[in-house]
Amino acid sequence: MLKNICVTQFNLLKSVTSLQQQVRTTFVLKRKYDPLLHKTNQKPRRMRAKHFIYELVEDTLVKKSPNMEVVLKTFVEGVGDKGDVVSMKPNFVYNKLLLPGLATYKTPENIAKYAKTEAEKSAVKHSSPYAQRTVNMLESIVLAVIMNKDEPWVIEPWHIKASLRKAGFHCREECITLPKERIEGPDLRKENKEFNCTITINKLEQANLKCRIHHWSTDPSERLPYVLEHWKLPSEPLLDVGLPERSETPEKQA
Amino acid sequence: MMSLLTSMRALAVRQPTGEALRCLHLTAVTDAARKGTREKARKKKVKVEVKKVGFIPHNQRDKKINVKRADKHVDDSWKQVSKDDVYVGRYYRWPVYTVAEAIQCHRETHHPSMYNVPNAPLNVEIELNMQGEKATRFVDNFQRMAMIPHKFDHGEDRKIIVFTKGNEEVQAARDAGASLVGGIELIKDITSGELLLTDYQYIIAHPNILAELVALRGLMKRKFPNPKSETLGANLAEMIVKFSNGISYSASKDEYQQNFGLITASVGTLDMDAKHLEENISYLLRDVNTARPKRDGHFITRVLLKSAPSSEQLKIDPFVYVSEFYDKNAAKVKRDAEAVEETETKQATAVAN
Repeated sequence: MLKNICVTQFNLLKSVTSLQQQVRTTFVLKRKYDPLLHKTNQKPRRMRAKHFIYELVEDTLVKKSPNMEVVLKTFVEGVGDKGDVVSMKPNFVYNKLLLPGLATYKTPENIAKYAKTEAEKSAVKHSSPYAQRTVNMLESIVLAVIMNKDEPWVIEPWHIKASLRKAGFHCREECITLPKERIEGPDLRKENKEFNCTITINKLEQANLKCRIHHWSTDPSERLPYVLEHWKLPSEPLLDVGLPERSETPEKQA
Repeated sequence: MMSLLTSMRALAVRQPTGEALRCLHLTAVTDAARKGTREKARKKKVKVEVKKVGFIPHNQRDKKINVKRADKHVDDSWKQVSKDDVYVGRYYRWPVYTVAEAIQCHRETHHPSMYNVPNAPLNVEIELNMQGEKATRFVDNFQRMAMIPHKFDHGEDRKIIVFTKGNEEVQAARDAGASLVGGIELIKDITSGELLLTDYQYIIAHPNILAELVALRGLMKRKFPNPKSETLGANLAEMIVKFSNGISYSASKDEYQQNFGLITASVGTLDMDAKHLEENISYLLRDVNTARPKRDGHFITRVLLKSAPSSEQLKIDPFVYVSEFYDKNAAKVKRDAEAVEETETKQATAVAN
């Protein structure tokens, strides 16, 4: 009776929850104690209280969701080129690709729609999804080129290659372009002076690499005193060529 | 009323008899039986020895007890392999060099125009999975000598004493480069104290003198020649060459991670021929692989080539030189061959005796 009184007589338009959020409420359970078997064509036995004790087999809420496949609409750095079908974690796909409009769901129509045209194929802008990252990292470092203080030398591409390998960058000799001028040594006037060389990635992207010469002697007593965090200090250009000077205080060392 | 009284009395009377009956059951016989079972149970219980640790101040506990140490077996197989010709190493799998390439890389950094140490020693770091046949058992630390085809100056002082009878063998041993060669007279010198065995790092013997050499067993202790450590055998020259030129290495388990073993050995200098260095590495790896436990999976997990003063470590593939997985059949054949050899040496010693 009370219920009937309390119910409002007005029946206005109700606000329906339009946002249907997907929730996972499935739990896979297993009986802890198996119920006893019963005879064929007989009623099953009455289950006791202990037969309603369950053990958790799987909680679908904490299950790792599988990767999602999407078609890229444009070139995305670190992911892929236009028209590529990529498989990535669903959260990344939703937040970084679908919401910004960089990709769409993988359907035959979408694949056909976003496939690269012949004109686009010929005008290649990016050789690989990670090339731009490599360019950025190469341009952010100051490479220490350690040369001998006692033996004569002329800087060659393999010196830069070995120095880059020591700094954690792997490259081939033919990717390195040195300045046209010969850089000779040992010359202590060239100590900590900067020159630029160009690294070509996949014969397409070009990175401008800052290199500084340091003199090193095999005999420990002959070595130059160590300058703390020398890569953060400003330095003079080694060559008088008008190469564009970038930031005065680079952040990282190599 | 009367009947009730009588029944109550009966109850009162019965009670003590019941107690007496209960007492009857607690006899010595049952007690003895229970004693036996208790004893068994006590024996079954393994005493857990609690190690006494001295008081560690609270501010040092994170450094001493609750330290989280990273697994020393590095696995980067989840990383991708770069398709670019220039790439940042830390985002990708370690490059695997061939031995020739790795040596070339070290030669570049050690070139006169850079570090100027073209004759720097080339060091090999071999990482081992020391797990034994069971998950809780580990391979013991071992020390061995690997024979190498191309000798180099290892910088160690190795003195070898050789015991043998017969002029031919004495001459052969001298030619091979033994520090001291002798027979029964040498044994007499040692027993009289004129010669000290501690001056010699390695003791080699020919089976023909084994009977007389038994007198020195107490003095030599673990250094006593035996065929297993390849210090007892008929081919003296080969053994002497091995002990004077070979690579002496030792595998040691990590203090905190029992299944991680490390071998650091020098295999030559950078100015040696790259092919000779490669052969030395292959002989060393094959020798290390003989200590492999009888289980599946890798024993040698990673091999790095290093050369001071450069801090570069270049990974090479060891499975070009040794088989990657445990081969049951090969091991069985080898064991049979060893057994045959052992019986032969036993026969030889019996004959000598």
